Amino acid sequence: MRLTLRALISHGRVARRMGLGPESRINMLRNILTGLVRHERIETTWARADEVQFYAEKLIDYAKRGDTDEKAMQMANFWLTEKDLLPKLFKVLAPRFENQSKAYTYMARLPNRENLDRAAMAVLEYKGNPFPPLFPAKRENELTLINQLLKGYREERAQLSGSKP
Amino acid sequence: MAACTRRAAEVLCLVRTLRQIQHQNERFISTSLPHLAAGGDGRPPKFTPPPKPVIVDKTQSEASLRRFLSPEFIAPRSRTSGLKFVVERKDMVQRRKVLNIPEFYVGSILAVSMKDPYANGKTNRFVGICTQRKGSGLGATFILRNIIDGQGVEICYEMYSPRIQAIEVLKLEKRLDENLMYLRDALPEYSTFDFDMKPAPHNPTADVPINTVKVRMKPKPWSKRWERPKFNFQGIRFDLCLTPEQMEHAQKWAQPWLEFDMMRHHDTAQLEEAIYKEVQAELSK
Repeated sequence: MRLTLRALISHGRVARRMGLGPESRINMLRNILTGLVRHERIETTWARADEVQFYAEKLIDYAKRGDTDEKAMQMANFWLTEKDLLPKLFKVLAPRFENQSKAYTYMARLPNRENLDRAAMAVLEYKGNPFPPLFPAKRENELTLINQLLKGYREERAQLSGSKP
Repeated sequence: MAACTRRAAEVLCLVRTLRQIQHQNERFISTSLPHLAAGGDGRPPKFTPPPKPVIVDKTQSEASLRRFLSPEFIAPRSRTSGLKFVVERKDMVQRRKVLNIPEFYVGSILAVSMKDPYANGKTNRFVGICTQRKGSGLGATFILRNIIDGQGVEICYEMYSPRIQAIEVLKLEKRLDENLMYLRDALPEYSTFDFDMKPAPHNPTADVPINTVKVRMKPKPWSKRWERPKFNFQGIRFDLCLTPEQMEHAQKWAQPWLEFDMMRHHDTAQLEEAIYKEVQAELSK
């Protein structure tokens, strides 16, 4: 008698179920990953972006091995459906992330899709892309009273320390 | 007569030197030559062969010996904290200091003696081919298979069980597959091994020999569909038992994307290095 309910318990399962089956899931992720490598910033549903983030970073790890490596070339050939992106992966993306070891992507949530399904959307990008940053550095407003007083204080301190020595 | 006395004198000299060596190295068994040579009765002294020399092979350095880390030391991929595995490895090394668990692979022929309260002599010995190695840590097991009186017998032994008294490798070799479950449906000649098999000598430095035998199977139906690509068995002679159409039909269950799925990839090279060093350090303590 089978004592476990394999269909309902998913302890330790990392991969989400997407599409029509495992093959469909891999094909879908392949297409999204190819789009990401081509455009370097894409917008999809949150679940798909989450899955592709893992595969995108692992692909960069394989690409870092170099295009002479047999295994790396096979993986890249499988995952990139548009073969003109193979040189881009090995010659542009891999050298870009030479000094980093883990995080090559950013993922940010977007407002839900306008359709009937109101799906949760996210934007996924490779770091170092040419677009304006997803998380721009916030500058505090210099024209508030407190900031003006602080600015004056800092200038006085600089003057005093400049005149003393 | 003179020859006899000369020989007796020679023997006595030899005995004296042997006694000296005996005192220096207590490992030698007593020769009992002095006891019998000095015997007064007319019977010739009973021939006792000289003690076997102890060979210490210092020609091969430690670096050239094969590095082997038993697979149960490598923890499975999980979210358990590292402390559990560290403590478990310490216990495993403690047990290994008491019982010598030799290096073996799936496809090697082993002899295991286990304590058994219901056997005469309180131990029972089983000889078989290792078909699987499962589990990790202290619960690691291996399955030995043999055919006794026409009945196939598979016994699953826990490597670190205190009931096990000795594990002896009679023949060290690998096979084409990591898992030899298909021997259940193979012809019995591939699973029969003599209980009184003599251990074959194996080289501690050379690579482990791979036995490329391709096994002939009994006619279908089998206990499992061994031709399916999920097993990917290299050690079966499919051309003798299946038609090409059946082989093609089996390929319908192929999942070619599986080898490229990076979520399933788990690189244990660095883990193995660290664990090997840790285990060697513990063993030498």
